[in-house]
Amino acid sequence: MLQLKPMKISMKLIKLPLFFILLYLPLSQLCAVDFGDSSSNTLMRKAWHAYGELEDEYALAFIHRSVEKYFEKALEQQNSLSSFPSYEDAHNFWALNDVGTSLYLKGIILERQGKTREAIEAYRQVVEQLSFSQCWDQRGWFWKPAEAANAKAKALAYDMFLE
Amino acid sequence: MRKLIPSFPAILTAFCIIGCGASEQPAYTESAKQNSPPETLPNLPSELLRVWVEETAAGEYLLMVNDEPFRIRGAGVRGNLPLLAQMGANSIRTWGINDETQTLLDDAHDLGLKVTLGLWLRHERHGFDYRNPEQIQQQREIIKDAVLRFRDHPALLLWGLGNEMEAFQGYGDREDIWREVNELARMVKTLDPNHPVMPVVANINHHKVSAIQEFAPDVDILGINIYSGAGAVGDRLRQYGWNKPYVVTEFGAPGPWEVEKTIWGSPIEPSSRQMAAIYYATYTQIMEDEAMCLGCYTFLWGHKQETTPTWFGMFLPSGETTPRLDAMARAWSGKWPINRAPILREANIPVFKQTTLPGEVFNLSVSYEDPEGETLTYQWQLFHESTDRKTGGDKEPPPSELLDAIVARPKPGDSILTTPETPGAYRVFVTVRDGQGAGSTDNWPFSVQVNLP
Repeated sequence: MLQLKPMKISMKLIKLPLFFILLYLPLSQLCAVDFGDSSSNTLMRKAWHAYGELEDEYALAFIHRSVEKYFEKALEQQNSLSSFPSYEDAHNFWALNDVGTSLYLKGIILERQGKTREAIEAYRQVVEQLSFSQCWDQRGWFWKPAEAANAKAKALAYDMFLE
Repeated sequence: MRKLIPSFPAILTAFCIIGCGASEQPAYTESAKQNSPPETLPNLPSELLRVWVEETAAGEYLLMVNDEPFRIRGAGVRGNLPLLAQMGANSIRTWGINDETQTLLDDAHDLGLKVTLGLWLRHERHGFDYRNPEQIQQQREIIKDAVLRFRDHPALLLWGLGNEMEAFQGYGDREDIWREVNELARMVKTLDPNHPVMPVVANINHHKVSAIQEFAPDVDILGINIYSGAGAVGDRLRQYGWNKPYVVTEFGAPGPWEVEKTIWGSPIEPSSRQMAAIYYATYTQIMEDEAMCLGCYTFLWGHKQETTPTWFGMFLPSGETTPRLDAMARAWSGKWPINRAPILREANIPVFKQTTLPGEVFNLSVSYEDPEGETLTYQWQLFHESTDRKTGGDKEPPPSELLDAIVARPKPGDSILTTPETPGAYRVFVTVRDGQGAGSTDNWPFSVQVNLP
């Protein structure tokens, strides 16, 4: 009668491909991220959408791409201002608005993930560096990410007193 | 000590005003302007506060009290002043004059608290008509009497003229209302040049701010009740072209009208822990505006039923201090109170935001930590959702409790809820007490339907 010998497989043989598989999965997921035309507006809209779908990693990927590509332009636009641009003029500061809003969203996501310090850092970046950013609300007005970020950073800082 | 006899010039002025008809403007004197120290009237009590608004060379506003700058760190109150003073506040705000005003002012003075004394102006939604000369005259007489009675009180800081009298009238920019507010401001300042006049509005918008500037130019300070966005109200005022100082006269957590709601429309109250953080953050944000903001009053040093019995109060209905009071003490004084309220760590409430069948059973669990390590007691309660909700903070009846719907389990913080047989909206509350005068409360809405889809 044929007897099957139990196969002895070295753990080393398993570990190596497993490592590459595990590495590949998140990378492949991110590689599969569709950045669209990679315009700042597209990236911000996609980030909001992913956030709404609870797909935090995708949302953060869009935000990182936005910051990487447009932060310098956003800073340049911020530095050209001494107060909030008017309602009519606000859309001309597209990079400032989109990156400021994206970083605010990054704060919300990190807060949701319980990464309090990192969330505060993201909020403070909006307050300190992109304070004149504005975000169009579909209900018909601009809201100010730095204003909201300031409140959230302070509330989180208080909450950290409790720990 | 408390000399409340009006001075001769004041009596003379009062007679002039009494003689004015509703359509006539009261006498207005240059001395009523508040941008410089007022000339002290003769025969005034030496303790009287001389208060005015000063604009610095840099264009910043200071509230000056007897030659010293004063920044308001206060609360709208319903009693318990000693604790307020102990926690580091320096001022209180009231909404109107009543039988307890004299005692309140005296107590505040004894504790070193300065008072923004509310002069209630009636609201059109309660039947008042700002186009009715008779009603207007009647209201002027009431205001005049109050000013004459209390203007020499040594605790008096500001006159708070009305509270949200413009609200629920379109944008709050009604010309007749603001013209009357201006007349009243002129009258008050004529009767009492020693204390600035501050109308108090419900939030701001461009229309409202423009109307105040156009029709009520004689007010000294703008008082604003604002919840969401209170920390940035100064930026909005500047954007709308406001060029006088302001005080945030009410702030707290976002109101029930500003938060996320369940699908059946119950507002979700922020947790006790979130509330505390919001109070602290809002206060620090407001006070960052040192150029225009003269200070702020938190709402409410007491408790009241507004959507829930716990949304706005800094005390539990049973009298214990809460985490938001701890937060304000920290904000005002930089120190924690000696005994702090329990802190929410975790809540597992599977029924939260759910629609369930009658008679379903849920295990509820919460975990709180007491900063001083006191043993905590847990009280679970089930209430009908408040249905008799009012606007503008008007008095609401408390919702009724359903007894025996929740049974506490032996493990502290655990309980079993059996959902009611009657369909409707409900709210489950837990109140946690440390036995030393501090407590926390949190609540979670749910609903019951007979036929679930």
